[in-house]
Amino acid sequence: MTRLPRARAATTEAFLEQTGPELAALCTECGACFNACPMVDDVNLRGADPKIVTSGLRQLASGAAAPEETVAWVGACTKSGQCVDACPQKAAGLDAMLLVRIAKQRAINETRQLPAKQDPSYFPRIKTFARLQLSDEELEKWL
Amino acid sequence: MAVSDDRVTFWFGCNMLRHAEMIRLSIMLLERAGYDVSAAGGPAYCCGTSHDHQPHGASNMAGRTVSRFNEAATRDGRGTLVTWCPSCHMHMSDIMAPGNAAAFDITHISELLVASIERLAPLLTVPVPHRVLLHRHLGFSTHVPINDRVASVLSRIPGLELIEGPAHPGHMCSGIATVPGALKAVIGETWSAAIANCADTVCTIFHPCHREIAALDGRDNIRVRNWVQLVAEAMGIETSDAYVGWRNGGAPDIAAIERAEPSRYQTLIEPELRAPPLPVASAGVAE
Repeated sequence: MTRLPRARAATTEAFLEQTGPELAALCTECGACFNACPMVDDVNLRGADPKIVTSGLRQLASGAAAPEETVAWVGACTKSGQCVDACPQKAAGLDAMLLVRIAKQRAINETRQLPAKQDPSYFPRIKTFARLQLSDEELEKWL
Repeated sequence: MAVSDDRVTFWFGCNMLRHAEMIRLSIMLLERAGYDVSAAGGPAYCCGTSHDHQPHGASNMAGRTVSRFNEAATRDGRGTLVTWCPSCHMHMSDIMAPGNAAAFDITHISELLVASIERLAPLLTVPVPHRVLLHRHLGFSTHVPINDRVASVLSRIPGLELIEGPAHPGHMCSGIATVPGALKAVIGETWSAAIANCADTVCTIFHPCHREIAALDGRDNIRVRNWVQLVAEAMGIETSDAYVGWRNGGAPDIAAIERAEPSRYQTLIEPELRAPPLPVASAGVAE
């Protein structure tokens, strides 16, 4: 059983807005998160300079455009979580996976360096699967 | 109503609705572990994690969902939220709760089942004589030691030989699918490991992995099962798997399609069910 963290903002949008720059300020651009990431080879970034990539990570998390290597890396995040323990600033409160997540969101919505992946059929498909299988009582109680 | 430790909300997420049997089995296992369960999921309880391109909408979804679980805690005494989906669990812990005051605690279904294993173990009386390769990912272990927990539950099943498969990147297969070529490699590695270890079963932990591997059920005489199905089998409960059947040439019955609306079935569901499986190397046959 885990006690959830206390709310630090009125909405998730506000939380993410304030947390990006906070986490970026803790980052030392050492590159440990990038070096620990198992997706680096999948996007042909093994030769990239980890310091440049993580410098861009800080920029993105604060809403500024980043080098293409950084954008490609955050775009390939699959939440493996290996960056979290690799980060030497973890004890200071830096959640590297959350930093990458926020950077990815900013690359989609603010710097527009990543395309938005929209699937308007996402919820209709789920609802149709539900109606294929659930009883009326389950539909009523669960959804 | 006062919060009770044994009254829980089981939050199964959105995409688990492809696998209704797994939702029912999960509820049944929690009940046999001694919990009073109320299930919730689908779009009305969306965490918002798949809507990064709509930050305001995702924020509203998160607020609405937390508010519903707060209501379950205060009105119905359900102060524990039990998750299934790692995306939902991580999103609640890392993003939803810090932006919305939550009146409940969080746990994963695997934690409650492991904590109740001495109560559940005597119910595991039916041997499941299979050599089972566990399909694993690295990711969710930042929050929940899922691979070890599932392995520890499966290890209590009589007759079951467990092989821990390669630990793949990502937290589940749906995340990997966004990186070109990565999902094909992951599924291929799991299948090759199953063949190399003479496994007759590939066991999935999460629903997106089950969805991806389902179409391979029966190939190389290897079946595809989810971990809750194996636990239920050991309790003597017959486990069906409609999704696996549909991915392998079957179809829902006409009445179900009528209920879901035929046009929606044809446009939204059939293309997924009829998509070719990811290519994997079969025993003795190059990919």
